[in-house]
Amino acid sequence: MSQRIVHYEIDAKYDAAKHNVDATEVLTYHNLTGQALDHFPFHLYQNAFQPKATFVRDAKLMGSRDTSYKKWEDKYYGSEDIKSIEVAGQGDLTQNLQYIAPDDGNKDDKTVVDLRVAKPIAPGAYVQFKIAFQTKFPETQARSGWKRDFVLGGQWFPKVGVWWHGAWNCHQYHNTTEFFADFGVYDVKLTVPQYEVVGASGIQVEEKSNSDNTKTVTYHGDDIHDFAWTASPRYKVRESTYQAQMGPVHLRFLMQPAHWSQAERHEKITRETLDRFEKWYGPYPYKTLTVVDPEPDSAAGGMEYPTFITGDTNWFMPEGLHLPELVVEHEFGHQYWYGMVATNEFEDAWMDEGINSYTEVKVLDSILGENTSILNFLGASVGEREVQRLSYISAADLDPIAQNAYAYVNSNSYAGITYGKTASVLLTLEGIIGQDTMAKAMRAYFMKYRFTHPTKEDFLKTIEEVSGKDLRWYFNQAIYGSQVMDYEVLNVNSFPVNWYEENKDKKNAKGKYDTVYQSYVTVHRKEDFVMPIEVEIVFDNGEKTREHWDGQSRWTRFSYVKKAKVVSAEIDPDHTVQIDRNDFNNSYVVEPNTKATYKLSNYWLFVTQWLGQALAWWAV
Amino acid sequence: MQTLFNDQAKNRSLLGGGFGMVTSNKRYVFWFWLLSLFLAGFGTSSFRESAHAILDHSLYAERLTHGFDLSVYIELLVRPEFGPMKSMYFPAHYFAAFFFIATALFLPGVFAGYVSTYRLPREDFFRVCGRNLWRFIRIMIIAGIVMGIFAGILFAANGAIVKKAGESTYEVLPFELQMTGLAIIFLVMTTLRICFDLAEADTVLNDQRAVRKSIATAFRHTFRGFGRLLGSYVLTTIVAAAILVGGVWAWMKLISPESLVGAFAISQITLFLLLIPRFWQRGIAVVYWQQRMLVPVVVVEPTAPAPIPVPAAPEPAPEPAPTAPTTPAAT
Repeated sequence: MSQRIVHYEIDAKYDAAKHNVDATEVLTYHNLTGQALDHFPFHLYQNAFQPKATFVRDAKLMGSRDTSYKKWEDKYYGSEDIKSIEVAGQGDLTQNLQYIAPDDGNKDDKTVVDLRVAKPIAPGAYVQFKIAFQTKFPETQARSGWKRDFVLGGQWFPKVGVWWHGAWNCHQYHNTTEFFADFGVYDVKLTVPQYEVVGASGIQVEEKSNSDNTKTVTYHGDDIHDFAWTASPRYKVRESTYQAQMGPVHLRFLMQPAHWSQAERHEKITRETLDRFEKWYGPYPYKTLTVVDPEPDSAAGGMEYPTFITGDTNWFMPEGLHLPELVVEHEFGHQYWYGMVATNEFEDAWMDEGINSYTEVKVLDSILGENTSILNFLGASVGEREVQRLSYISAADLDPIAQNAYAYVNSNSYAGITYGKTASVLLTLEGIIGQDTMAKAMRAYFMKYRFTHPTKEDFLKTIEEVSGKDLRWYFNQAIYGSQVMDYEVLNVNSFPVNWYEENKDKKNAKGKYDTVYQSYVTVHRKEDFVMPIEVEIVFDNGEKTREHWDGQSRWTRFSYVKKAKVVSAEIDPDHTVQIDRNDFNNSYVVEPNTKATYKLSNYWLFVTQWLGQALAWWAV
Repeated sequence: MQTLFNDQAKNRSLLGGGFGMVTSNKRYVFWFWLLSLFLAGFGTSSFRESAHAILDHSLYAERLTHGFDLSVYIELLVRPEFGPMKSMYFPAHYFAAFFFIATALFLPGVFAGYVSTYRLPREDFFRVCGRNLWRFIRIMIIAGIVMGIFAGILFAANGAIVKKAGESTYEVLPFELQMTGLAIIFLVMTTLRICFDLAEADTVLNDQRAVRKSIATAFRHTFRGFGRLLGSYVLTTIVAAAILVGGVWAWMKLISPESLVGAFAISQITLFLLLIPRFWQRGIAVVYWQQRMLVPVVVVEPTAPAPIPVPAAPEPAPEPAPTAPTTPAAT
């Protein structure tokens, strides 16, 4: 299915006491670049967890999802050392290794090492690297490492960069970046203590016990671009089979004991998500999927690897709180948007996280309801599309979508733009080209670019091709620009045309008022995002009218002369626009409706009184 | 004070006696509830005004009226024109402080009312309040220091234990320890509350100027009547928790999301009822004070004044018996 550029054969032994992996790696690389290669960069991701590394520096500067690094602790330390590297036919080239920092020049960053080979590798040729390395995991950071007796082995072995658009693409590991790698075949032997329950990418092909109270579990994976594994003595395992379009898929759930009652929830959302993805976007071709419920309080929850994802839950998780469903759905979605459509997560994070957040909204809406897909508990509700929009508007004017993932002003902007804005932009796009067309475009994109590394233009052009529309005006603002949208109904006026007469409200012969009103509705574009919009005006005789405005000028005014007054005006009455920064000013009701205000005020009143009583209870 | 000498109090249970005082003085609960509503009305006014400006003319607000879309609420809170959350929190905190001060101000009158066998006149109520104001402030300061120290130490210890438990592979252990710790903290703080409630009762009812004496006496009695007092206080707290949970449950289940009147009524009924357990606890303290802390008065049986021994008038000496008359004639 994929070009299978790489073939990794790894034999690794995990020391659970020291959290170390000692391993040998044989990497066979197929040079399909069309030119001779004289050097090969390798990612050494675990070196990110060192005090002077770019990852840690970024985390301190931009804020971090996991660790703030206010104070350095030994347990944060991780490392990935190549003990030796040999190139078949060229001998030991360990001395040729040189750390490089292509993104920021940080000489203390050791997350990328470059190997200059003695003889260039000809186009079409294969080259084999034999690497001995040791990886020391930190306490879980960035969804990798150990916590108590649990370990998640992610980004744990030297991984060659990607030759992409005529050059090596091998970025340093940053706080807000993920990964990028070539497709290939993985054969991995993991030796772990006998008591461990193990899960990993790919298919388990063998498990054998060793004489030293260890066991070796062997995995094989085709057409994947990464390999992750986990081990814990306390996993409880649930297994079943899902009948996918390309054959049965073995589902394996590794649950924490205290979460065992939620295993069914995990399986249910996995099955329903698989079902939607296969129907809407394309077949799931792999034979296995492992869903890991990681160690509590670890920074290992919510991560995706090929055929292997981590969820995130807690022992207390009411049915109406859909956080496990959200995480499992999201990470499964990455099997498509990252796993198969393997975009460059360093440079186009929005293409995996953002597109995945968009499909997450679609899938969760479909399974759990549009306004209740995140929360449906004690009378309160939250829908995923609103969560994405809120995330976006928290950082709306800070960064554009299309930029390197490590170039955001802070981690909040990275999350708000990459996830929230992309999802909101694509949901809004549905309103422009139609939901059905958008669905066709997404399927076409997946089917065309699976097992490849598409660019942002590949995606955008696919949408244009499928929709048959020139959408540059939209993409230039929404994807490449940082323009912000905020339309408002500025004011609504209705007054009798004969307002100057004393008896203007005369009844006609039938006893009804015949007053003719002059009405104005003024709509204002407050920000710099220009987009055509619909406005619905409702009159007090029940009549409704819709107006279209191209939004080019700063404001426009609609006027009417009718025997009716305007009751309300609403921008985007079909609620297709998800990127408007302020939805409250999108409508104006002439007669104020105070219900919402008093409802909320009553909540505040209750809480305030209760606080006062609680204080008085204890203090006097 | 004739009213303190209530013979019936001696035989009453703490819970029954305390509750009887609350029911006999329901007006206090009502006035405190009204005060809390009034103050909270002020405390939430800035929220109300900000919400009016954004929600009243917006169709989007209907998502808050029909059900409760939390994301719309969050969006409201983060709107710049809504104002910073500080402007919402501060008035609420001020309210809480005002209510607390008002409680301290009027509580002496409540104690006096509880022991009164007749409806305490308003003038007397406020006179007692004024008379005990500074005494109560002193008690509050001492109580704040003592309870603050205990709370600080206990919460710190609990936090350390829970943090340590976080290293366990048994995931629920930190929660279980947290709950156990909170239960212990609750019992300790309730014990302290009992002590200071007794001190407050003693200060008012004994008209004790030296509050340290009331506190010392209360401290001794807290441990003398520990089981009865703590049991009664815990039970009333459970009642309070049941009222809160039941009220919120009824609000969620029985009141439609669109019903403003229903929501206001159920929330205020809950808050009104929630005041009762604390007044009940104070009634318990007063009953205990009457039973155990009231300084016994030495009853001196009235004695009939001993008749002043008036020396009896000497009996007139008997006249000497007449002797035989001599007959002079014999001469």
